[in-house]
Amino acid sequence: MTSNTQQENDHQSIAARMINNENFKTIGDISAKKPRMVCKNVNVHYGDFHAIKNLSIEIGKNEVVAFIGPSGCGKSTFLRTLNRMNDTIDICKVSGSIELDGVNIYDKSIDVVELRANVGMVFQKPNPFPKSIYENVIYGAKIHGLVKSKADMDELVEKSLRKASLWSEVKDQLHKPGTGLSGGQQQRLCIARAIAISPEIILMDEPCSALDPISTAKIEELISELQQNYTIVIVTHSMQQAARVSNRTAYFHLGKLVEVGNTDDIFNIPKHKLTEDYITGRFG
Amino acid sequence: MDLTPQPHHTVSSFDDEMNQLHAQIMEMGGLAKKQIQKAIASIKKEDLDLAKKVLKRENKVNNFELNVDASVNRIIALRQPMASDLRHIMAISKCVNDLERVGDEARKIAKITAKFYGGDSTPPNPSLLRDIDNMSKYAQGTLSDALEALSRWDMDSALAIAKSDEELNLAFSDALRRLATYMMEDSRNIGYAIDVVFLIKAIERVGDHARNIAEYIVYAVSGQDIRHMDSEEAHESVADVQNYNSYK
Repeated sequence: MTSNTQQENDHQSIAARMINNENFKTIGDISAKKPRMVCKNVNVHYGDFHAIKNLSIEIGKNEVVAFIGPSGCGKSTFLRTLNRMNDTIDICKVSGSIELDGVNIYDKSIDVVELRANVGMVFQKPNPFPKSIYENVIYGAKIHGLVKSKADMDELVEKSLRKASLWSEVKDQLHKPGTGLSGGQQQRLCIARAIAISPEIILMDEPCSALDPISTAKIEELISELQQNYTIVIVTHSMQQAARVSNRTAYFHLGKLVEVGNTDDIFNIPKHKLTEDYITGRFG
Repeated sequence: MDLTPQPHHTVSSFDDEMNQLHAQIMEMGGLAKKQIQKAIASIKKEDLDLAKKVLKRENKVNNFELNVDASVNRIIALRQPMASDLRHIMAISKCVNDLERVGDEARKIAKITAKFYGGDSTPPNPSLLRDIDNMSKYAQGTLSDALEALSRWDMDSALAIAKSDEELNLAFSDALRRLATYMMEDSRNIGYAIDVVFLIKAIERVGDHARNIAEYIVYAVSGQDIRHMDSEEAHESVADVQNYNSYK
């Protein structure tokens, strides 16, 4: 009888062979009903390292798409290509096409600042500016020239904080520092900040990994409310979270998109063995 | 079939719990099968003691039901199983119900034995019982096959079980027809014949439970729910999934 480690090694090498095959194609339907972002044959290199391999997927309007996969599989890298956050890394090269409403976001004519206003991002660790809660929310809108009068600003701050389910908790302390809030509140403040500049798509990179269960539940509740108006792409290490909040789930492995499909199907009857093994906790 | 070795869970105690759960359901299956064997033997051999043993052991099967349910609850609460793990656990959880019912059928048969051969009244005319031999062979065979398939999570064998249950159902219809003839021939047979109807119905139900177990096995392995399908439809629906498996 083979030992556990032996079996696992065999399995891992079989898995690697399966997806390293040149003819490997993503399993499941990569298309969205009302596509907003269309990614075709995207490759990302960090120097010599091929981080994303020929990846194609569509992200639809008012959809929550979850990216799951073991560490280092490229899900965060891919998320960051969606609003060109990787531009800040010199050795990072992106090829293929990523279109937002039919416009290639890697085109030279694209204003990256405007792109990132349209495609907002919330990070793993809450990162409010060292300013007041009020200033945190209004900052982006001010520099984009979206608000002028004090009344407009007050209105936008309230609206954004309400949308981020934070208003009732902070309405009496708007001029206190944002950094004084709890972790969960800070994260919702960052979401309010992202919402204030009216993005169309919100990218979330493990938004709950630094939060306690109650704050996590609040963010998850918020995601399902935000879905009415925004398209959300979320990277998460919590399979249960992906299952709870998303409509579609994409499984990444070694830089490839192995399988994508309706969340129900992915978590009940995944088609690819690697997806199955990952979500049942057999490796990763 | 996919012959890739199934890797273990990263958390090895999860493997242990799954193995224990499987062992529990197999033990319960073994007990239920024995109960049916003994109950049928009691009626065939007119053995009152054996029938009493079956009745006494019935609560053992019920205890297994409670224990397996507790294990299932615990695994779901602690491990939040997904995909094939969840399907296997749900399948076991459903098999428990069917095996408990098999135990109930054994009790019904044993009670009829006690009624026929334990009281002061004269035993029934043996010709009324002539179908029991044939039917119980089918029923016990089907149950054994289902348990065998459950022990190996063998979908191909499980798919074949629907067919043998269909044969048992035919044997049941034949038996009913014959009993009706006996009742028409001699009205003194009617009292006994009604009991025999309950008896063969209990045997026929064993086949249904075995078929249910087989359906849960197919669900656990393939994710396809083949309940309420005839055996041909079931094969077709699983064939679709087997095509997907070639990706694996």
